[in-house]
Amino acid sequence: MEIKKIAVLGAGAMGHGIAQICAQAGYQVNLRDVKDEFVEAGMSKIRKFLGGNVEKQRMTQSEADAALGRIKGVTDLKEAVEDVDLVIEAIVEDINIKKELYKELEQICRPDTIFASNTSAQSITEMAMSTKRPGKFVGMHWFNPAQLMRGIEVITHDKTSKETLDTMVDLCKKLGKEPGICKDSPGFIVNRLLQIWFNESLNMYDEGIAEPQDIDTALKAAYNFRMGPFELRDMVGLDIGIASTATQYREMMREQFKPPRCLIMKVKAGDLGRKTGKGFYEYKSEK
Amino acid sequence: MNIRAVSIIGDREFVLKLQELLAKVSVRVVTSDLTEDYAKQVADVDLVFEVAPEDIAVKKEVFKNCDARCRKDAILATTTANPWVTQLARATKRPDKVVGLNFTKNLFEEKYLVQIVKGLQTSDDTIQIVKEFLEKAGITVVKLEETPGFILDRVIASIVNEAAVMYSSKLATKEDIDKMMKVCVNWPMGPFEFADNLGVDKVVDILNSMIEELGPKYQPCFLLRKMVDAGWLGKKTGRGFYIYS
Repeated sequence: MEIKKIAVLGAGAMGHGIAQICAQAGYQVNLRDVKDEFVEAGMSKIRKFLGGNVEKQRMTQSEADAALGRIKGVTDLKEAVEDVDLVIEAIVEDINIKKELYKELEQICRPDTIFASNTSAQSITEMAMSTKRPGKFVGMHWFNPAQLMRGIEVITHDKTSKETLDTMVDLCKKLGKEPGICKDSPGFIVNRLLQIWFNESLNMYDEGIAEPQDIDTALKAAYNFRMGPFELRDMVGLDIGIASTATQYREMMREQFKPPRCLIMKVKAGDLGRKTGKGFYEYKSEK
Repeated sequence: MNIRAVSIIGDREFVLKLQELLAKVSVRVVTSDLTEDYAKQVADVDLVFEVAPEDIAVKKEVFKNCDARCRKDAILATTTANPWVTQLARATKRPDKVVGLNFTKNLFEEKYLVQIVKGLQTSDDTIQIVKEFLEKAGITVVKLEETPGFILDRVIASIVNEAAVMYSSKLATKEDIDKMMKVCVNWPMGPFEFADNLGVDKVVDILNSMIEELGPKYQPCFLLRKMVDAGWLGKKTGRGFYIYS
């Protein structure tokens, strides 16, 4: 199946970037959120990003205008999805809210429309089974910021059809992204291995073996990791970190995914990383 | 203490490599291999690097012999990748002056990282002296307590093991797993590329030593064990997760 028109549901952190990349690749995009102000906030971020691209001479003004012209901001769900070939859902990470949305979509969308969820934490299988088209349901996991990160995980479940998978892999390539296929499982590929990398490092600190600085330095100096695990935890936020670790542990129930004690204690103490001025490291205010 | 003279004892290849690394510091270097009467040359050095093969009996012998002939304040360093500092220290009469200095070559560039390994008896002074000395040679150093796998091998072996579980349970291809870690979160290499570079046998050895000291969660994935049985050890044998010509 050839994708021509795409609806992106959710104009938040991920949704606006996803819509922008689709539009830049020449697709017609409906960017939908529940309130005008959310849609406008997303559109304004897209305008700003495209403007930056023009300034840095990564694209011409007319290319930026054309991309922007292909994005229509809407709040009405029916208007957003009724004639699209693909729905990319990037709404709040709550399985019940997502399943409700899919039930509604099932009523409005054409039967051949593909549903793709940008979830990083919910079960693709469970969402697919809440629709009447499990064969046309996949995960499409983008990384933040969607405009810049090159990889997309395409998540299949037992009933995803080969045609749907092929269409999605092909789409990723047309968007200028690198697809990687993974069966539905907690954390997919990237977050599952990242958790191990984080946890093993944080456990060493908990065990009194080495300081965050030594562990970060070792991994950067010997293997050229761009950031160490402690630096990255601080940057993303320890509260976000503990939530993803706890989810992974709950799903896997294996010792290696257990949230490290130092992470739990720092979150309890309110030391959440850069945003609070202190996490594993201290940050001076940049005023 | 200022390090003015060092002795490097052990495998020729490593002796030369280490000598080259220390070229930036103004220090007198004496080198010898294990077939020579190396202990004769250590009487007036400040620091001994032992770079003997990974055999605890051989290393203990070197430590005993050097301990008998070195000045009382000289530091004895082992370059072992094993958690052997504490027991090597016990083979000497200067356990506070025994330290581990594990050299890891950067996977992409011609530079080294040294993991300074503190045994139970190693003094802070000893750590500080070797740290300053290595930094003068332009080498990046980190400190840790003696533990299986040290920092680097422990993290990498754990990643490889989890990735092997994912690959053998057919969640994704090895190529996609490697690619995604590189393009989605900027890892320098994917887990299977790390395994082939490090050696699959070495990964299994590290995991086994971690089971012994840290618990059963480090149980190597059966795929890794079978690869060792098949001789698919990575780049060094021409085949690991990938085939090399």
